[in-house]
Amino acid sequence: MSFLIIQSLVNGVILGLLYLLMAIGFTLVFGIMRVVNFAHGEFYMLGAFAAYFAFAVAGLPYPVAVAGAFGGAIVLGAIIERVVFRPFRGDELSGMIASIGLALILQNLALIAFGPDPLSMPSLVSGAYNWGGIILPKSRVVVILGSMVILAIFYYFLMHTRTGRALRALVQDREIAAAYGVRVELMYPLGLALGAALAAMAGAFMAPLFGVSPFVGGTPLLKAFIVVILGGLGSIPGAVIASMLLGLIESTTSTFFGASTADIVVFALVIAVLLVRPSGLLGHKEA
Amino acid sequence: MLGQLEVSNLIVRYGPVEAVRDLSFSADAGQIVALIGANGAGKSTTLKAIMGLCERLQGSVRVDGEDVRSRPGAALAHGVALSPEGRRMFARMTVQDNLLMGAYSGQGQRPQKEVLEQVYQYFPRLKERRKQMAGSLSGGEQQMAAIGRALMAQPRILMLDEPSLGIAPIIVADIARIIHEINKDTGVTVILVEQNAQMALQLASRGYVLESGQIELSGTGEELLANPDVRKAYLGT
Ligand SMILES: Nc1ncnc2c1ncn2[C@@H]1O[C@H](COP(=O)(O)OP(=O)(O)OP(=O)(O)O)[C@@H](O)[C@H]1O
Ligand SMILES: [Mg+2]
Repeated sequence: MSFLIIQSLVNGVILGLLYLLMAIGFTLVFGIMRVVNFAHGEFYMLGAFAAYFAFAVAGLPYPVAVAGAFGGAIVLGAIIERVVFRPFRGDELSGMIASIGLALILQNLALIAFGPDPLSMPSLVSGAYNWGGIILPKSRVVVILGSMVILAIFYYFLMHTRTGRALRALVQDREIAAAYGVRVELMYPLGLALGAALAAMAGAFMAPLFGVSPFVGGTPLLKAFIVVILGGLGSIPGAVIASMLLGLIESTTSTFFGASTADIVVFALVIAVLLVRPSGLLGHKEA
Repeated sequence: MLGQLEVSNLIVRYGPVEAVRDLSFSADAGQIVALIGANGAGKSTTLKAIMGLCERLQGSVRVDGEDVRSRPGAALAHGVALSPEGRRMFARMTVQDNLLMGAYSGQGQRPQKEVLEQVYQYFPRLKERRKQMAGSLSGGEQQMAAIGRALMAQPRILMLDEPSLGIAPIIVADIARIIHEINKDTGVTVILVEQNAQMALQLASRGYVLESGQIELSGTGEELLANPDVRKAYLGT
């Protein structure tokens, strides 16, 4: 029993980290470009495939696979901003529709290239830690630590570098940021590239746990959406709380009551929070 | 130190609305120049057009004889910084991060740290609150932060859009004194847009009165303060 509890808590933390990685990129892209990016989950999917081919097929070390997913997503994200989103700049609705189109294209390209069957990715490391009877698979510990390192680096970048500051300023007041020399035409592709890269690294990390197929992006996208709404749009602390809450609730409920109960509980929770606090747990009152 | 500004025959339209029509004015290096006028006269639009934040249909902007193009960042590169109407702080960033955003373009001779210390000397209150979110500052403090943020760009020309807006008279007097000090210490040219004509004309060596997007009157600060039309329209006497 206690083993089950520990196990489901660990899984909850992993889910929470996954949702957080997804939600931060999603909210960053929304904040900068004002586009609800429905293709965000497809970057997760591409990251999972990238890791699969680099690690399971080509036999490269895992950090190299993650770095590859990062680099590939940065380049792809910047190109996609240029080709897909730039024509619709300032038109939020068209931008959103373009992102749905992009999601369909990416998913179907993956389907043509890799086929519909789920591929299974081997664990990164085998074995388990045994701390006084608490048994943790090493592979899960690696996923947790890796995600936390990436989140910490990203947080540092956003809060303590000149470019990170410019991105935050742009989110809050585009005109004034531009008046102080922030170049919107560079920051848009950077924002989308970073969002894509966070999603792709999430995919690369989670591939061994959740599998690899053209359809794996849907759930993380939905959960990112929920986290952003639950935590409050644009709030990083809100996103941290919401994603951990979501991950832990989902994992413990599904361990003890089954997966469909977990979904019901999660959505009931979201509705309850929004009834009490329409702008989310830590949201700002604004459009 | 340079900082001569010359705006000629400026026209700005918002759709069918002609907000600024054929407006010309100039400021010598190191001068404080006031632009006053009623609501909707086109004061803010003029400053935005200088900054390249709204499109100029016609007209030119020159800084020290060099032509400034009509796009965001162009005037900044020529040493023009704007403290915008309504302050427009990045509310969910710290005071210090707001100030550092002023220095984002990285131009100017002096090291950023030194300029930051200078801003904190002018506005000690900001130093106390540097780690606080800018949105939590009082209106007067936000105004100081907005001026400080503009100073961080090490401008040759500092443009202030209604620094007295919505601020208690005693703080307005404070801010006026500091604007005067900054101008005297650094030799920066100041373009001061105000509805508070009293404060602006007392500070300024030259003033322009805007009406419906055009210059109606100009003169030294004292002349305008003494002008019966100005007194009637803007000072209520
Ligand atoms: N973004 C905009 N879109 C359309 N019209 C605008 C816009 N901004 C300003 N205007 C119009 O342009 C004219 C000049 O406005 P502006 O803001 O420059 O006046 P102002 O002199 O700064 O007034 P105030 O003292 O109230 O700030 C006004 O008629 C205003 O309604
Ligand atoms: Mg105005």
